[in-house]
Amino acid sequence: MKQIILGALSALALTATTAVAEYPEKEIQGIIQWGAGGSTDTVMRSVTPHAEAAFGGTVVMQNMTGAVGAIALNHVAGSTADGYTLLMGAENPMLYKVMGLGDKDYSEFVPISILARGTAVLVAHPDAPFNDYAEMIAYVQANPGEVKFGSTGPGGLPSVVNAMIGAVEGELDVTSVPYDGDGPALTGLQGGAIDVMPAVLGAAIEGIRAGNMKVLAIMDTEANAQLPDAPYVTQFNDGYSTYLPWGPFFGVFVPKGTPDDVIATLSDAYATGAQHPDFVQLMQDRGFSLMAISGDEADAFLTKWQQGTAWLLQDAGLTKASPEEFGIARPGE
Amino acid sequence: MSAFADFLIVFTQPQLLLLVGLGTFAGVYVGAIPGLSVTMAVSILISFTFSWDVYPAISLMIGIYMGGVYGGSRTAILLNIPGAPSAIATALDGYPMAKRGEAGTAIGVTTVMSFIGGFVGIGVLALAAPLVSDFALKFQPRDYMLLAILGILLVGSLSQGSLVKGIFAGALGITIGAVGRDPLTFAERFTFDFQLLEGGISFIAVMIGMFGVSEALLQLHHVDKDAVRQKISRIVPSLSTVKKHLPLSLQTSTIGVTIGALPGTGGDIAALMAYDHAKRVTKNPSRPFGDGAMEGLVAPETANNAAVGGAFIPMMTLGIPGDAVTAIMIGALFIHGLNPGPMLMIDQPDMFWFIVGCLVLANFFMVFFGLTGIRLFTKIVEMPRSVLIPLILLLSIVGAYAVNNAITDVYWMLGFGIFGYFMRHYGYPLGPVILGVILSRLLDDNWRRAIISEREDLGRFFEGIFSSPLSLVLFISVILIFVSQTPVWGWAKARIFKSRKSA
Repeated sequence: MKQIILGALSALALTATTAVAEYPEKEIQGIIQWGAGGSTDTVMRSVTPHAEAAFGGTVVMQNMTGAVGAIALNHVAGSTADGYTLLMGAENPMLYKVMGLGDKDYSEFVPISILARGTAVLVAHPDAPFNDYAEMIAYVQANPGEVKFGSTGPGGLPSVVNAMIGAVEGELDVTSVPYDGDGPALTGLQGGAIDVMPAVLGAAIEGIRAGNMKVLAIMDTEANAQLPDAPYVTQFNDGYSTYLPWGPFFGVFVPKGTPDDVIATLSDAYATGAQHPDFVQLMQDRGFSLMAISGDEADAFLTKWQQGTAWLLQDAGLTKASPEEFGIARPGE
Repeated sequence: MSAFADFLIVFTQPQLLLLVGLGTFAGVYVGAIPGLSVTMAVSILISFTFSWDVYPAISLMIGIYMGGVYGGSRTAILLNIPGAPSAIATALDGYPMAKRGEAGTAIGVTTVMSFIGGFVGIGVLALAAPLVSDFALKFQPRDYMLLAILGILLVGSLSQGSLVKGIFAGALGITIGAVGRDPLTFAERFTFDFQLLEGGISFIAVMIGMFGVSEALLQLHHVDKDAVRQKISRIVPSLSTVKKHLPLSLQTSTIGVTIGALPGTGGDIAALMAYDHAKRVTKNPSRPFGDGAMEGLVAPETANNAAVGGAFIPMMTLGIPGDAVTAIMIGALFIHGLNPGPMLMIDQPDMFWFIVGCLVLANFFMVFFGLTGIRLFTKIVEMPRSVLIPLILLLSIVGAYAVNNAITDVYWMLGFGIFGYFMRHYGYPLGPVILGVILSRLLDDNWRRAIISEREDLGRFFEGIFSSPLSLVLFISVILIFVSQTPVWGWAKARIFKSRKSA
């Protein structure tokens, strides 16, 4: 009995002394917003070990899926702002408010690092009766309602790309077939269930290389290093340069109120981790542009991204509530 | 010849050999605990094996996968609690055998049959992967929908006793599966404005509650009764038993590998469909189905292990995951600097043959670990119930929590446990509920995709069915199986026979 009491006392003493010790003094939880094996999961699981090495901490990652990532977001937002719970997420929360999916977004968080940005690409089934973007637009206009576009629900990448196309070319009459993610939709594309899919380059790149799908246009203002021969969309219509470059992104966040020195430690760690050759190589292979920005730069990026995308969707009539209601200013205002 | 050398890598390097063995051993036990899933184990391993080379990492994951799929049958047979969704059908006839004191025989047969099924799956992967993946890609949304309807018709075989109660249970399952934000439009369904319900109800929590907790509650009725003594004289089934079931096991393995190769369907649906198939084709089962028929064990166990090889087919040939576990493995390959996709087989054929080699080895380890340790396992059922019941409850709670690290799931699990107890009490079968939850999304999503693709025109939809041979075959099977479960079938059969006689 005596030993137990002694043990308990020494344990208490230990925790008391470590409370003033330097961050990190215990394991850090990393909550990944999306499921195991997905893009966000792959990015986070490959950068975090390098970041761990940089600051000497341990980050235990777990996937918390559901409700388009809102469950993970709410979980981390509700946790103590002490730097021991990280949110590892993608761009989706920036649209929760306007899409009526939740009342919180990254404005409740401080970005530790915006790691990388993806590029969207329009791909088609190899047998589709059009070979590039211009031919597709002509075909859709000649055959209203006949071309099947894959989509991933309101606020997903395809809905934003479609809104962009609508804003530049005028409303296109296509049939949108909903899938729960770009992976299943690209599978459907290869089987001929859909004709065209706006997808993130990284998800489509291997299929493009093998000739299982063809590129209609890369949604960017310049050629892509991974597919130097593929046409980019401003070649066909310069109207897109208003909205581009645009793409989904991945970032690590902590709730607002986290001590500044903790934020600095984590930001430095992830900035170092992101420069590791293995991670740089992975991002390159998957067609992502490495960013690794934090602080004011990251805040500015998030604000710009949210303004542009939310208003694009608002003008396309896809939102549940106007960005104005949440104080999201129209870009340029 | 280099293919053969790559195939042999895993056998010749002691470190890899050991890792596959270790993985399989861990898999059998992880798989046996409800809630601790292979998917979870493999995703934890990704971080754990991050700094390793790709070969050791893949060896360990494949071991866990193979062992885990098999391990789910353990608790299904011994405790009537499937360790994984793919072992639900195993419990239907496995547990009655354990109640007769034949747990040893049941586990023996399961092990050998899993081995056979596993090999059929690996064989198809090694010899016909490109062919099967081409076939799998042909499945259109309407075909997935027809497949889901075929699945729902299994309610007939899963509801022992009243069919009406079975249909009710199945419909309940489909409703449970629809709760939450619809993944296609993000509209809320059956959430009643509770934030709690937005993420839907965890399917694993429902399964653990319905099978685990309700079983524990039911056993409380006989808490002071002695446990059944298990005879473990014969564990390895005789050659004649294996021979007798070989034709059936080959058929159900084919079902398993095909369903496993389809992206979006996995071992759970394969096992249930195989069980149904066995029930149809077996004229004289050793005992009635549901009372401990050997055939009822053979079918699901061959099918779910064959589905493992099947799931690797789209992964290796197209970079498309065949199920949740292969989805994570694709992520792991990315992290290790490979680019899984259609070019993998061309750029890095060694990876393909290495994986085939690992699967073969894991299959052998599975038999080894499956057949040893049975004596210890059967002791579990011989434990006094006053020890066993709290243990089941504890495992159920840990399992439900571990799925999403959410305490809410534990409440769901307990709630469905109590609900399941009353359902059993009033003779409602639980199998169809789980079947409904599994198939809910498959049916709902694909029906909507199919009809939206045809611009919401039913005429065009049926035109599509009749112009595609694959859809037509599935459609006719749906009609035939449906009619065969109604009195019309018997009546028509009698009519035809009568007219033949008189002619």
